[in-house]
Amino acid sequence: MFACRTPGLPTVSGVTEPALAVEARGMTKWYGETTALDAVDLLVRPGIIHGVLGPNGAGKTTLLAALFGLVTPEEGTLRLFGRSRAESGAGWLDGVGGFVETPRFYPYLTGRQNLSVLAGLDGGDAAGLVDGAIELVGLDAAASRKRVRGYSLGMRQRLGLAAAVLRRPRLLILDEPANGMDPAGIRDLRTALRQLARGGRTIILSSHDMGQVEEICDSVTVLHRGRVVFTGGLDVMRGDAPDGTWRLFTSDDEAALTEAGAADEVKAARRDEGGLTVHAAQDKLDAYVLALGRQGIAVRGLEPDVTALESLFFQLTRDAEAPAPEETP
Amino acid sequence: MRRVRPALAAGAIAALTALTVSGCGSDGLSAPRLQDSISSTFAHLYVLQQAEQGNPQPSLRSLHSHASCQRGTPGTAQDGPGTWLCLITYYVAGPAYPVVAKYKVDVQTDGCYAADGDGPASVNGSTTITGPHYRQLVNPLSLVDGCFDYT
Amino acid sequence: MTLAAGRWPAAVPPAGAAPQRSGTLVVYRMELAKLSRQIRVRTIAVCAVIGPFLVVAGFHVQNATPGDTAFGQWVHTSGFAIPMVILGFAAQWIIPGLTALVAGDIFSAEDHFGTWKTVLTRSRSRSQFFTGKFLAAVSYGLALAVILIVTDLLAGLLAGTQPVVALGGQLVPAGHAATLEVLSYASEIPPLLAFTAVGIMLSVLTRSSVAGIGGVIALTFVLQVVTLIDLPGWLQVALPSTPFLAWHGFWEQPAFCTAFWWGLVTSAAWFVVCGGVSWWVFRRRTIGVAA
Repeated sequence: MFACRTPGLPTVSGVTEPALAVEARGMTKWYGETTALDAVDLLVRPGIIHGVLGPNGAGKTTLLAALFGLVTPEEGTLRLFGRSRAESGAGWLDGVGGFVETPRFYPYLTGRQNLSVLAGLDGGDAAGLVDGAIELVGLDAAASRKRVRGYSLGMRQRLGLAAAVLRRPRLLILDEPANGMDPAGIRDLRTALRQLARGGRTIILSSHDMGQVEEICDSVTVLHRGRVVFTGGLDVMRGDAPDGTWRLFTSDDEAALTEAGAADEVKAARRDEGGLTVHAAQDKLDAYVLALGRQGIAVRGLEPDVTALESLFFQLTRDAEAPAPEETP
Repeated sequence: MRRVRPALAAGAIAALTALTVSGCGSDGLSAPRLQDSISSTFAHLYVLQQAEQGNPQPSLRSLHSHASCQRGTPGTAQDGPGTWLCLITYYVAGPAYPVVAKYKVDVQTDGCYAADGDGPASVNGSTTITGPHYRQLVNPLSLVDGCFDYT
Repeated sequence: MTLAAGRWPAAVPPAGAAPQRSGTLVVYRMELAKLSRQIRVRTIAVCAVIGPFLVVAGFHVQNATPGDTAFGQWVHTSGFAIPMVILGFAAQWIIPGLTALVAGDIFSAEDHFGTWKTVLTRSRSRSQFFTGKFLAAVSYGLALAVILIVTDLLAGLLAGTQPVVALGGQLVPAGHAATLEVLSYASEIPPLLAFTAVGIMLSVLTRSSVAGIGGVIALTFVLQVVTLIDLPGWLQVALPSTPFLAWHGFWEQPAFCTAFWWGLVTSAAWFVVCGGVSWWVFRRRTIGVAA
C-alpha cells in the first residue's frame, strides 16, 4: 500500500518555472493507414494532475510515448518545461520520469539490480536512491532481491514507479498506473499522487476508466480515435455533464416509482435484479430522496451506477457523428 | 518486404549459376603463377629433405628448378581451380642430368594448393624418409603445400 | 507492505547535478557489466582459454595427422604447426559465430525483453545507446581475439619450439615463427570486426536475436559454399570471409601482403556499411509501442 505522509515535501523553488510543464501542439502520428494521433494538443500547467482519457485504441499510449520521444510524430511541436528535444539533446528528459505500457525490466536481474542498472545510466547520485525508492513504492525488500521474471503485474507497476522516482522527477508521466492493482492499491496510489502534486510536481496519467480518475485529476484531455474531444478542468466538465445514473433500493419500490413520476426531472425505472435505476441531476436527486422520506419510504441504498462525468465520457467517445464540445483551460 | 525476399534469393542463385557456367573466373589462378610458386617451394623442400637425410645441401640456385603445369586434359581452360599436373625439372648433378618430379596438384579458389608426389619414388614416393640414427621423419617432398597471390 | 513516512527525493533543477561523465561511456560500461553476467559469454571465455590446450593434448595423444590443411603434416614435428592448423580451420567456421553470439543479440535482446522503452526514457540519447552497445560488441570481439592469440601461442609453445616448415618450403626458426603466428592471428581481427557489424545490422533490422545470430552463421555456410565456385577475382576479394585467409601470404617465400591489404579494405567496407545501416535504421525506429 502506498501511504506517503510527507509533511515537509520540498517544493520546486528557486527555479524560474516556464508557464507550461508540457506544451504539445498539433501532434500527428500515423502508422500506414491508421491515424493514431490527429492534431492533438496537450497543454499542462506545472503542479497539477492531468488525466489523458480515452477508450482502448484512442491514442493515449501513443501520445505519452511521443512525450517521451519514443515515437516521433509526423507533425507537431513538443516542449517539456520550455525545452525542445532538438535544443536539449540527451538531457531533454532531465526531471521527467514515468513509463509507457506495462513497465519492462531485465528478467535475469533482480528488481534491485535493475534499479541499479538504471541508476547507473542516470549517473549522479541516483544509485543512493535505490533503497529509498524501493521502500517508497511499497515493494517488499525480500521481493526486490528476486529476479524480475517472477514478478506479478502489480510488482512490476511498483518497480516502474520506483524507476521513475530515481530520476527525481518534476514531471511524472504514467500510462495506466492503476493497471493490475487491487482497489486498496489504487486508493493508495491516489493518495501518493496527490501528495506529489502538492509538492509542485506535475503528473500526467492515462486511463480508460473515468471513475478511477475523477477523484484525483484537476483537468483532463479526452481522446477518441486519435482526436481530442474534450480538454479542460473537471469542474468545467461537470458543468457540461448530463445527469448521472443511480441505483436506488427502498422499502417500497412501487411507491418510489410513483413519487419519481411526480418529482421534477427525475426518471426512474425498475431493475430486473431488484431496486430502481434513477436518472437525475445531483440536486434533483437530493430533492427526490428527501421527498421519499417525507412519504415514509425509507432509502435502503443509493449508489452511483455511472457518474455524471462517466456519462459524459461515454457520450464523447461513442462512435457518433455529432462533434463534441471543445474548450481550452 | 516478404514478397521481395524470394525474388532476391532467386536472383542471387541465378547470378551465381551464370557466373559458374560462364567461365569468367579468376584469371589469377593461372599456370605461370602456379609454376613460379611450386618450383620455388619444391626447391626449398628439396634442400630441406637433403639436410634431414644428412646429405650435403645443394644451393637453391644450383637446382634450377622449373615447373611446367597443365590443368586437366588438353583442351580445358588453363586457368582456375581444380586438378593440375605439374612436372618439376631440376638439376642435381649439373645440367646434363635433369630430374623430373611429378606432382598431382589440387588448386583451390583461394590460391592455395596441395601437391601430391607422383614420382620418382626415391624423391616423393614415400611419406617418410630416414634421417640420422635411423629416425623416421616426414618426407617434405611427399606432400607440398603452398599458396600464391591470385589477385 | 506499508510505508509510513518515506522521504521522496527532492526535485533538483537540471543544472545542479554533479558533472556527468560521457553518456556513451556510461552506456558502454553498463553493457559490459551486463555482458559479463551472461552465461554464454563466460562459457565462451572459458572455452577460448582451455580449447587450444585441449587440441594440443589431442594431437599429442594420437598419431594421425590432418591431411588436407596447410601445416597439417607438420603437427607432430613442430609446436608452431598446431596453432596454424587451428587457425586454418577455425577462422572461417568458428570466429564469425563466436562474435555473432554477442553482436547478433546485444540490440535485439532489448526488443526481446521490451526494455527499450525503459532505458530510452532516461536522459540518454539513442545515439549514445547505439555507440555504447556497438563499442561493447566490438570490445568483446577484440577481447576474444586477444585471448585466442595468447592461449594458442602458449599451447603451441608447450607442444614444442622446433622450427616449422612454412608454405614456401622454407624452414622458419622459433622466434620468427612465433612472430608470424601472432601476426597471422592478428590479421583475423579486421574480418572479425566486419562480421560483428554484420551481426549487429541483422539484429537491428530484424529485432530478433535468432535472426541476428543465426543469420551470421547461415552467412558463414553460404560463403563456404560460394568459395567453391570459381569466382572472378574482384568478387572473391569482396566477400567478407576472404580476409580470414590473408595470413597465407605471410608464410610464403617471398612473403606477400597484397591479400592482407585487400582484406583490410574489404573488412573496413563491410564494417562501415553494416554499421551505417544499423545506425540509420535505429535512429528512426519507433520503439515498440502498440499503435
